[in-house]
Amino acid sequence: MAARQKQRHVRVGEDNGSWRGRFEAMASPCELLCEATGRAEAQRLTEIVANEAWRIEDKFSRYLPGNIVDQINSAGGRAVEVDPETAQLIDFGVTLYQLSERRFDITSGVLRRIWRFDGSSNIPTAAQVDEVMNDVGWHRVTWESPSITMAAGMEIDFGGIGKEFAVDRAAALLREETSVSCLVNLGGDLAVTSRPKQRNTWKVGIEAVNRPADMPASLLNLQIGALATSGDARRFLVKEGVRYSHILDPMTGWPVQDAPRSITVAADTCTQAGMLSTLAMLQGKGAETFLEAQDVSYWCDRGYLPELDSVAP
Amino acid sequence: MVAADVAATKGSIMGNNSKLSISGALAAATCTLLGSGLPEPVQAQEEPGWDFNTALLYYGEDGDRVQDLSLNILSRRAFIDDKFLSLGLTVDALTGASPNGALPQSSAQTFTRPSGEKTYTTPAGELPLDDSFRDTRVALTASWQQPLGRLYQLSFGASASAEYDYTHAGLNAKLARDFNQRNTTVSAGIAVAHDSLDPVGGTPIGLAPMLGEEDTSNRMGDQTKDVLDIVFGVTQVMSRNLLMQFNYSYSDASGYLNDPYKILSIVDGVTGDAIPTNDFGDDGPSQLNVFEKRPDTRVKHSLFTQAKYYMNGKVLDVSYRYMTDDWEIDSHTVDLRYRWPIGDRSYLEPHFRFYTQTEAEFYRASLIDGQPLPEYASADYRLGNFDAITAGLKYGWKTGSGNDMSVRLELYQQSGSIPSEQLIGNQLDRDNYPDLNAVILQFSYRFGL
Repeated sequence: MAARQKQRHVRVGEDNGSWRGRFEAMASPCELLCEATGRAEAQRLTEIVANEAWRIEDKFSRYLPGNIVDQINSAGGRAVEVDPETAQLIDFGVTLYQLSERRFDITSGVLRRIWRFDGSSNIPTAAQVDEVMNDVGWHRVTWESPSITMAAGMEIDFGGIGKEFAVDRAAALLREETSVSCLVNLGGDLAVTSRPKQRNTWKVGIEAVNRPADMPASLLNLQIGALATSGDARRFLVKEGVRYSHILDPMTGWPVQDAPRSITVAADTCTQAGMLSTLAMLQGKGAETFLEAQDVSYWCDRGYLPELDSVAP
Repeated sequence: MVAADVAATKGSIMGNNSKLSISGALAAATCTLLGSGLPEPVQAQEEPGWDFNTALLYYGEDGDRVQDLSLNILSRRAFIDDKFLSLGLTVDALTGASPNGALPQSSAQTFTRPSGEKTYTTPAGELPLDDSFRDTRVALTASWQQPLGRLYQLSFGASASAEYDYTHAGLNAKLARDFNQRNTTVSAGIAVAHDSLDPVGGTPIGLAPMLGEEDTSNRMGDQTKDVLDIVFGVTQVMSRNLLMQFNYSYSDASGYLNDPYKILSIVDGVTGDAIPTNDFGDDGPSQLNVFEKRPDTRVKHSLFTQAKYYMNGKVLDVSYRYMTDDWEIDSHTVDLRYRWPIGDRSYLEPHFRFYTQTEAEFYRASLIDGQPLPEYASADYRLGNFDAITAGLKYGWKTGSGNDMSVRLELYQQSGSIPSEQLIGNQLDRDNYPDLNAVILQFSYRFGL
């Protein structure tokens, strides 16, 4: 906890005609870009964003003893009454569970007990998966808002929602506070609060996985709206030549087959963008087809295709 | 709630498509979660920009030999759906002197210039260098790359170049397919080229003697060369840190493959000295020489393998190439690079390359007077037996505006030898194949527009 607090400070600097505030939250580098008039204003706006990100992290992190997630997960079968914000997040999780036909499930976090995506070949056995699957499934939970009851051993986890939710919450606080255009970026999930005035757009780069130096990243002009990315090239397992993605299917307890390495989606809010990219990931091979049907802008990375030696002499 | 109504309507309109209704329902649920009104609709467009890779390269050989200043601009435009247009421009300015193939002698040697106009003289004891080497080359390339279905990548392109006495035109295409969850990429490429030579004063006839000024009876008209290249490759992601590539390539060249500026000395079979001649007075060669002649076909096979190993931002890049051809040149190339990050914004990259080749079967240091001419002969040092080492260092950094800059300095040293059975008499006492040293300095700048 001491170490966590130690990292909690913001640094503000001028950057290409706008202000940039940096801080760490949710184990990611975070930043606020804004068209503030001066350092003091940039500092104040960055602190608003950072404090909201840290508040949400503390409240919903599954690693922090004593918070609401810990109370629910360690209730040992007893009912736990939750506050309105937590209730809304759970309701949102339920909607996604239904929309995704059970593929998005806030009780699936316990699968991490057996799946450790560290690039190794530590694949769990079918028996291990079956055993953990006894603790997975929203249908086993009794949710009568604001009261949640689930069997001992089961856990809920807002890891799939928290960061995007924090981006949108921070953006909403900034909109109440200022008309200055801000870009909130929490570890790559980001939103713009209002149309920029000093420039036409905010420019955002989308990096391809293992991008070689001679291949440009896609550069995006974002006037208004949000972007979120699912997937991480560094989180996977390889065994006997089969690559296991870190996207787990809560229906089976096994990684989704043929999932892209990463998907970035543009949407009105960061939460929508994040959920669409996550749901697309869960479609595996059908990710692009799913996204096409949603009529959203997206960038799907199925791995960098290395250039071969030039054919020409 | 207004937002939810709008979203629900959107959902029901699209209700016949259950997947599409997800965005509507999701929008409604998000509004409820965030407790906010309907946000302004997203506006994001991919930057339709160009990516420019520019480089200025200086290559200089010591001892007044070849100097090349080369400007290279490669631009790439990304379109939506992973399509790319690439356009390249290279301008080379070449000056300096190059060995003409004749051996050093104990007396001065005079040669007719390749143009057939005027002569030049090499002092006694020095390697004859033709200093009329001066040219500007302009080369253009264009290529288009696009996905073909979900697993295929297709690219095709064209190239052309022009210099004073040489033009090149080529076409190429490549198809790649991904397998094994995109951990394996298999590709096949083909390139064809048609080149024309039009040396000043005509193209020398192989093994014809060097004549005096203005005598073109040893010359013929324009000549052409056709080249076909085929490449098969496999790229394999071995682990999260290791990427490997294997290529086989085949190259078939036919037509006029001689270097029109290279000659061989005609020497005495006992002393090894060039045979003097007075046939041309002051207006031609002072000793006997003939133009080189190579076979009119050449088939090369090469195998290439490369491994790139990533370790916390450091990259080790090792490659090896084996090439063999029907001129009996075998070569091996080992190339090592190590990218070593310094902070977030810069890196150092040491580079080491070793190259070795055997001589062509028709490589001859000289031809003996009075003996029948062989079918083919060349004294071009590039077809001889030599080793070469390149060692250098590159420093790259990101500029304040996020562009990439780098500077590279490399030293090149080539040392060759003539097979001892080809050396006769006094030739054994002379340095017929001096070492070649060169320096390479390159500035690169990569930016987007």
